[in-house]
Amino acid sequence: MNKDQALQLIETARKEGRKTLSEYEAKQVLTAWDIPVTREILVGDRAALAGALNAIGFPLVMKGCAAEIAHKTEKNLVRVDVRGEAEAVAAFDGIMAGLDGKGGVLVQEMIGGRRELVMGLTRDPQFGACVMFGLGGIFTEILKDISFRKAPLEHHDAMEMMGDIKGHKILEAVRGMPAADTGALADMLIRIGQIGVEIEAVAEIDLNPVILDGARPVAVDALIVVK
Amino acid sequence: MAPTTTQTSPIDFERIFHPKRIAIVGVSQEGLGFGAGIFVSLRLIGFEGEIFLVNPKGGELNGEPIHRSVEEIPRAIDFAIIAVAARAVPEVLEACRLKGAAGAEIFSSGFKELGTAEGIALEQEIVRVAARGIRVIGPNCFGIYCPRSGLTVLPGPDLSRETGPVAFSSQSGGMAVDFANAGKSVGLKFSKVVSFGNGCDLRETELLDYYREDPETGLVAMYIEGIRDGDAFFESLRRTTARKPVIVNKGGLSAAGRRAVQSHTASMGGSREIWQSILRQANAVQVGDMGEMVQTCLAFSLLPPQTFHNITVLGGGGALGVAAADLAENFGLQIPAFEPDLAGRIDELLPKPGSSPGNPVDVANPFVPPKTLKAIMRLAAGDPRIDLQIFTSLLHHYKNMAMLTGRPIKAVTPYLELADDIREVAAETGKPIVVILSNPKSGPDHLDVVDMFVDARRAFIERGIPVFAELRDALRAIGHLNAYYERKS
Repeated sequence: MNKDQALQLIETARKEGRKTLSEYEAKQVLTAWDIPVTREILVGDRAALAGALNAIGFPLVMKGCAAEIAHKTEKNLVRVDVRGEAEAVAAFDGIMAGLDGKGGVLVQEMIGGRRELVMGLTRDPQFGACVMFGLGGIFTEILKDISFRKAPLEHHDAMEMMGDIKGHKILEAVRGMPAADTGALADMLIRIGQIGVEIEAVAEIDLNPVILDGARPVAVDALIVVK
Repeated sequence: MAPTTTQTSPIDFERIFHPKRIAIVGVSQEGLGFGAGIFVSLRLIGFEGEIFLVNPKGGELNGEPIHRSVEEIPRAIDFAIIAVAARAVPEVLEACRLKGAAGAEIFSSGFKELGTAEGIALEQEIVRVAARGIRVIGPNCFGIYCPRSGLTVLPGPDLSRETGPVAFSSQSGGMAVDFANAGKSVGLKFSKVVSFGNGCDLRETELLDYYREDPETGLVAMYIEGIRDGDAFFESLRRTTARKPVIVNKGGLSAAGRRAVQSHTASMGGSREIWQSILRQANAVQVGDMGEMVQTCLAFSLLPPQTFHNITVLGGGGALGVAAADLAENFGLQIPAFEPDLAGRIDELLPKPGSSPGNPVDVANPFVPPKTLKAIMRLAAGDPRIDLQIFTSLLHHYKNMAMLTGRPIKAVTPYLELADDIREVAAETGKPIVVILSNPKSGPDHLDVVDMFVDARRAFIERGIPVFAELRDALRAIGHLNAYYERKS
């Protein structure tokens, strides 16, 4: 997807009166700004499932995907570590039932890695588009170990944000895990800021978690709120 | 929306901060109220220009005639101080503009801050007059203090006439007065202090733009509640910190409004987190309260523009050394132990027993003569790792010596000698020495000690030696200095 198509996608969502993009749509937008996301295929019916399983490969993650679903885990719409076709078909049926026919199932590569980060964008009433970086997953809310910068970001702003958080050592080489590719992380933060600057209609972006697959960061879940 | 303000030329700021002729509109013969108060304050602080008083009732105040209207003033004016009822302000402001005033400060309240339709409309009226060619400070403020010209804020007849590097702007009038007073008592010197109240015309960003170019201003301090234009403020801040330190106390951080948010990012983006991050991004120094702002300004104005990472701590008491080491770490400062050879040479100078020559250096008792302390500081500065020294004085103990000898404490405390010695060592080694003057004896039984401390502090400050009341204050201020100069490139 290129930037024009991404803009079109956002416009369509707004015309439909939606406040959020689906995870699949959000990741397409992110891709247009070269932000690394999981490889994934949106599957609408059982017939298309086999092709997706082949393309992504096991183990994989399956998630319910519809525009207005913000908390997939709480609604039991996520299956991780799906290892075979039978398991995948059962997961597909279960998720589709939970969706009541809206949307489809996202078949997604499973990213291995224990370090979870969060990145995002908010619009501050005084300073406008601000990019956020912090510890991801459940630690986002518990530790609130986060840092912001006003967009647009320069490279040194992004590097500094990573140093700002108390848990910055998580980005270093620890316990057999390689040091994070901070250059790639900085690019992601800069590009999130660009989206905020370039598209006024984007109100919030939330990439949580961004998992470090070895050194390489990948956005595993994504939410884009439009206005 | 507020109209976009036009850039005021430097010559206009010159007439605003250093007016030759001013009008005070709204003085009463009874000598009560803001107008008469500011007149008395201006006379007491020694404003040298001409002052024209205005009140429709006429008469005189302290021998000065009161004109019945601005139009009646026989000469053109540079600046106006307006303290009339809110409803009369726009008309008076227009009259001052026609009299040639480059600017006016409006003490009067009763505008936007009330939140009433009338208040808001009156303030808009002021903005319209201002747009015709007069810059406005206020309304609802205490105005300008400029030591060079002798302009002062409202209750400020006793502020200093000494000019110096610190510029301050504040939404709050009370904060401006308190900061000017607190600054004076610790030896801060100001270039300009502006309390701009509602800030309907001139406010934080334009003042920052001015301070950036002002040759008299070496560092800027600000008290901010809200800003008008986040982008413009951020840009101005960033450009200013590239040249001068900017110290910001942002008020109202706890009152972050809750917003309906769907993402983690937005829910985490409360005003505290964003402000903290933005100030860091712009390399401004964020302080938590006025005390910290005073201490930080003191460090920035008296210490050279560089970072200080390795320090010595010299003073009495082993516990003090432990506390210093613990505190220093919090602010990113190291107290490296001296090499055995250097420690040995310092040890030769120390009284026995009870002293300790490592770093921190415990001098064991408060009555070590200044010349011994001087020799120790000279040796310690010889350690090539050391950037700065901290001397923790125990001058309050001289009260005991005063009682034993029956002499006044000022006569037995060697603070002048100490101040001279410290200045000498700092100058000769090129490594600044910061003095801590803690005074546990500050109660009503010890007013003689308090009095001695005031003199001692003055003696140090006059020699360019920064003095802090507590070690923690000094270390925190030095930490701020380090953060700023490290990031400034």
